[in-house]
Amino acid sequence: MTSRERLQATLRHEQPDRIPVDFGGTGTTGVHASIVAGLRDYYGLEPRPVKVHEPYQMLGLIEPDLRDAMGLDVEGVFAPQTMFGFPARQWKPFRLWDRLDLLVPVDFNTTVDANGDLLIYPEGDLSAPPSGRMPNGGHFFDTIVRQDPIDDDHLDPADNLEEFGPISDDDVAYYRDAGRIASASKWGVIAAIPGTYLGDIALVPAPFLKHPKGIRDITEWYMSTRSRRPYIHRMFEKQVEYACANMARIHAAAGDHAFDAVFVCGTDFGTQTSTFCSVSSFRELWLPYYQQINGWIHRNTHWKTFKHSCGAVEKLIPSFIDAGFDILNPVQCSAAGMDARHLKRTYGASIVFWGGGVDTQKTLPFGTPEEVRREVLDRCEVFSRDGGFVFNTIHNLQAGTPIPNAVAMLDAVREFNQGATGG
Amino acid sequence: MDDARQLYEAIVAGDAKTAVRLTRAALDAGVIPLDLVSREMIPAMDEVGRRFQCEEYFVPELLLAARAMKGALDLVRPLLAAGGVEPIGRVVVGTVKGDLHDIGKNLVASMLEGAGFEIIDLGTDVAPARFIQAIQEKNADVACLSALLTVSMPAMRDTVAAIRHAGVRAKVLIGGAPVTQQFADEIGADGYSDNANGAVGLARKFIGS
Repeated sequence: MTSRERLQATLRHEQPDRIPVDFGGTGTTGVHASIVAGLRDYYGLEPRPVKVHEPYQMLGLIEPDLRDAMGLDVEGVFAPQTMFGFPARQWKPFRLWDRLDLLVPVDFNTTVDANGDLLIYPEGDLSAPPSGRMPNGGHFFDTIVRQDPIDDDHLDPADNLEEFGPISDDDVAYYRDAGRIASASKWGVIAAIPGTYLGDIALVPAPFLKHPKGIRDITEWYMSTRSRRPYIHRMFEKQVEYACANMARIHAAAGDHAFDAVFVCGTDFGTQTSTFCSVSSFRELWLPYYQQINGWIHRNTHWKTFKHSCGAVEKLIPSFIDAGFDILNPVQCSAAGMDARHLKRTYGASIVFWGGGVDTQKTLPFGTPEEVRREVLDRCEVFSRDGGFVFNTIHNLQAGTPIPNAVAMLDAVREFNQGATGG
Repeated sequence: MDDARQLYEAIVAGDAKTAVRLTRAALDAGVIPLDLVSREMIPAMDEVGRRFQCEEYFVPELLLAARAMKGALDLVRPLLAAGGVEPIGRVVVGTVKGDLHDIGKNLVASMLEGAGFEIIDLGTDVAPARFIQAIQEKNADVACLSALLTVSMPAMRDTVAAIRHAGVRAKVLIGGAPVTQQFADEIGADGYSDNANGAVGLARKFIGS
């Protein structure tokens, strides 16, 4: 099987020749730039600075040579703009904290504040208030919340819809070109499409906008999901309308078989021990809109739909399935109720697990290579039966992950795959 | 139902406007400030915590109730101070160095405040020395350390070690997504909770309340 055939079989819940592996295909299955650099070095690839294609999490681009070395099967088509509202297509050198040479998008413009923190600007516009902060010596940016005082009597859902609307002709052309390349790709392809996320807390503060209006504070947003539901319903209704119209244009431009899956939504519904809302709240406030988005996709395309949610979301998985999601990521087995065997046995026939391969809060960053190997082999054994499993860590490979552990993880997947095929 | 009882209901319902209005009305009517706190506000937040524990309430409801309680408490606190009423304990809270996340930390602070503690909130990205300085200056009973990022866990370890080295008497409580009881034991913290309500219980235990 080619990588693409392998991924497609997996997404159809058929047993592939071996488990497909994704690193770097999406913003939640990515690899921190420092780890990309470490892996390039480990595999003896041509020395060159890593490209940071997603500056918010400082994710490094996994280029084809490293993809081959790591034994990966998936490539990503990223959104036309990064989280800070500029594209990642032209590059310039950047040195992170005097220890890592990188290439960053040309509009990756930063300043350093009195504390030594790195500030980054929406659309690279240094005259706008900064929208992201990386602590001095840190590894990622966090959003700087820019929230005007909220006057409930004058709240207008249109203020929270500035980032949504008809896709530009330039962005349609971007997907047309990406689709042309993806159609000929030997790898499976997952594409990020704009505007289909519903209240993703990383995006609510709109780090890509220069002067966001509406409800942008993270705490206010969470409270609003309980106290301002009519407002959020009106937002989501309009978002879905835009999203479906935009998907029609993207689909027409890229072609139906360019992408195997699309990243629909990254809204986190789980904490480490519970959910952010009750099942009934999810079904009232989110499910109808997810059904419209996923319904459009399934009626009009061959794309499989990808839902990311961290945390203890076991109780919500039946609703994710009802919502029309085909794929769940990152499958946080370390959270309450998310035991791998239980998930596979209970939901494995209905949803693909794209993740869950190894814990990134404990085993991968702090365990030994042998502990990593054992956990990976166990997860592969549990999740891979009858297809429906794309190997990925539980969320991105983070900065500080020991390279020997990352290599042990990849080697363990190979070991499992060789055993499974008798190779 | 009198204003004070309605205050309990407003806080549990997360209705900040009503909670503030009722607090003002109760104080105007001569209700003793400490009675409002001990008979209405603290029981209300205890009830909110109970509902959270048994998954009737979730993070949004907890945040709404905490805001309602805070609005009411802001009116009462100056009167308590003027009357010489002491908090049941003092707690320094902060997110450790290198970590900018604060929702969990803020929730813990609100729940502790709702339980009658005085909160010294140091914010996020807090260096060990600032924790120690605040503990010493405020003679704090408890220090609550938060971290969301796995990469911040070494900073949490360093902070606990520094607090221990400084020899201050405060108990150290830790929490946050990647943190576990095992980690708390490893780094020598006095307690760990995976939720804000549990943190209140531990803080109460530490001060013998």
